[in-house]
Amino acid sequence: MASGRTWHDRHVGYLFLLPATLMLAAVLVFPALITLKLSLTPEGGSGWTLTLAHYQKAFRDPVLFQTFKNTFAFVAWSLVGHFVLGLGLAMALNQTLPGQTFFRLVALIPWTIPDVVAGIIFRWALNPIHGCLNPLLRLVFPSFPAEFQWLSNPTLAFPSLIFANVWRGYPLVMVMLLAGLMAIPRELYEAAEMDGASRVKRFWHVTLPGLSTIILIALALDMVWEFRRFALVLTMTGGGPGTLTEVLSTLVYKTYFQFFTFEYASAMAILMSLVLFILSLPYIILVGRER
Amino acid sequence: MKWFRVSLLSVLGLVTVIGFSSYASAQVKIRFSTWQWNETPWVKAYEAFQQEFNKNNPGIEVVRDDSRYGDKEAVFIAQSQAKAAPDIAHFSYRPIRQLADRGYILDLTSFIEKEGGDKFLAQWDPKALEICKYKGKIWCLPEDLDPMVLLYNTQHFKEAGLDPNKPPATWEQFLDYAKNLTRAGRYGVGILGARQEGVFVRFNPLLWGAGGDYLTPDGKRSALDTPEALAGFKNYVELYTKHKVVPPGVIEQGAQEVRTQLAHEKVSMIISMPSEPGIVQAINPKMNVREVMALAPVPVPAGKPRVTATWFAMRVISSSAKNPEAAWKVYKAFYSKETQLRNFKIAAVLSTRLDVRSAPEVQNDKFAKIYSAQTPYVKLEPLIPEWPKIGDAMITAIQEAFTGIKTPEQALKDAHMAANRALGVQ
Repeated sequence: MASGRTWHDRHVGYLFLLPATLMLAAVLVFPALITLKLSLTPEGGSGWTLTLAHYQKAFRDPVLFQTFKNTFAFVAWSLVGHFVLGLGLAMALNQTLPGQTFFRLVALIPWTIPDVVAGIIFRWALNPIHGCLNPLLRLVFPSFPAEFQWLSNPTLAFPSLIFANVWRGYPLVMVMLLAGLMAIPRELYEAAEMDGASRVKRFWHVTLPGLSTIILIALALDMVWEFRRFALVLTMTGGGPGTLTEVLSTLVYKTYFQFFTFEYASAMAILMSLVLFILSLPYIILVGRER
Repeated sequence: MKWFRVSLLSVLGLVTVIGFSSYASAQVKIRFSTWQWNETPWVKAYEAFQQEFNKNNPGIEVVRDDSRYGDKEAVFIAQSQAKAAPDIAHFSYRPIRQLADRGYILDLTSFIEKEGGDKFLAQWDPKALEICKYKGKIWCLPEDLDPMVLLYNTQHFKEAGLDPNKPPATWEQFLDYAKNLTRAGRYGVGILGARQEGVFVRFNPLLWGAGGDYLTPDGKRSALDTPEALAGFKNYVELYTKHKVVPPGVIEQGAQEVRTQLAHEKVSMIISMPSEPGIVQAINPKMNVREVMALAPVPVPAGKPRVTATWFAMRVISSSAKNPEAAWKVYKAFYSKETQLRNFKIAAVLSTRLDVRSAPEVQNDKFAKIYSAQTPYVKLEPLIPEWPKIGDAMITAIQEAFTGIKTPEQALKDAHMAANRALGVQ
């Protein structure tokens, strides 16, 4: 059959790919190349005199090192939160319940809220003077301090940020896991039940293996998203108190737009992209295998 | 077929006519950018200027272009790199030289020379004008220079048994007053701790007032390791950490939050710029701000010379302006005596135009005369490219000391080291 295909048949697919490829090149590849070149340009310089000085500086920069650590912690805790909440809700919403569609829509709401808006909402809610969280907690626990500080507390600022990010970002994981759950054949559960498997065992031996690929894909995609999280952090804490909640994207922004050191910020951005690429490799390999 | 040809020709003819007519009536649009388009009372001043200019200049149209205060530099840089920046943009004095170095703003020297050079420039406060001169060129005209003073609620003073006509003159008195004014649900002072530019104009008078400074006199090293700098730093942070005269959550409080606290009587005193009484009034229309509030110089420790910081803003013309001549025409009109005086009447800002500063409306205004009297005591942050990094290190130190992450001594020491790193000091 293949021998009957004309040159046109074999190559027309590339034509269909061309517009998207050109668009990606324009909005992704070109800016990435510009950033790469800028990262190799001496500060305030232009033309093709290149240097590795910014990368050398980056490897000695304690602030950048600390920010990498903050970012890894932010991503790791966010992923844990997204997974636990996303899987829990996906399993609950996979049950046959009255109003199932309504609850599924409600559970998606945080995903529809832009980062900036979520950041502002949480900053306001957690404010010790004007916020709504403390009064609500006092309704339940009357002895709770009226002016309790969340974002101004060095111990609680980071967890508060994670909490906001978990709330805002769990629906992506939830939707993917829900789709995965719906694809697991019901017969497998019935067979396990007939064999006397408890709920825990069914979850462990049927649900989890059935979801393993989709869990990996969901968490890999989520990790890429969370690594780049910017507006939520900027609006909620601005990286503070001090630099306790500074993440890579806010540091790059500050270095580029506030310090006017475009070249060093570009080097940071390239390093960040490299790390992200390495972390994404399992996902890329998995998707390649699936094909 | 004939019908098709006739239709095609008619459509082509119509398109041509519409095209030519729109070309004939084309106006030069000048994008006038500021974060204040949505701020009351500023918006009234801008709309008045826009309407007046557009009416008197049929070939040019001033169009509104919104920016945001927090990321105005970031957006302008991105727009400039895309050659799509607004024609006229609004900044504080801090980034002007960096924007000039990067080629994002237009050198105004040739326009100014055409207007008469030194004679034209003589209309502005010469000290303020110096900030716009860089590398032998003039990059902007200074607009408003608004010294910081203490704004306080006289009713609260009376309730606390303090004489509203005798505001605190020294730092020691200020602290006593703040403690007296602090009571259930109300705090003596509102100060800023959020990571924003507004911190500097409120913190610097305390740093400088105690005799401290950011840099050594030669400008080559950090001076944040002096006892005076530490005293000023501690004066600021201990209002919150030790004396408890500041509302909780200080590092979440930016300028607008603090104004809101004053407007809703959560705090009794703030360090303020001339436009703030109007903003406070807008936040709480029920409060008669001009009756209830009063002003005094920012207190300094006993025996120290008076000093204050200032909000100091200017407009620039983008180097990507497609029609620089028209942009200059709008720019010049905005800097005219009439516009600047109207801006004062609406938004209470103090123009650097000498004829506006000496106008009876300014001289006789209850608030403006006090703000204006502080002008000789105004000091600016160092105008060096490393300032943004030094300022950032200082805000980090302030937040770390406020929240107890570090002691004031350690926080300032770390800021000192960060400032020296930024300056290239080994």
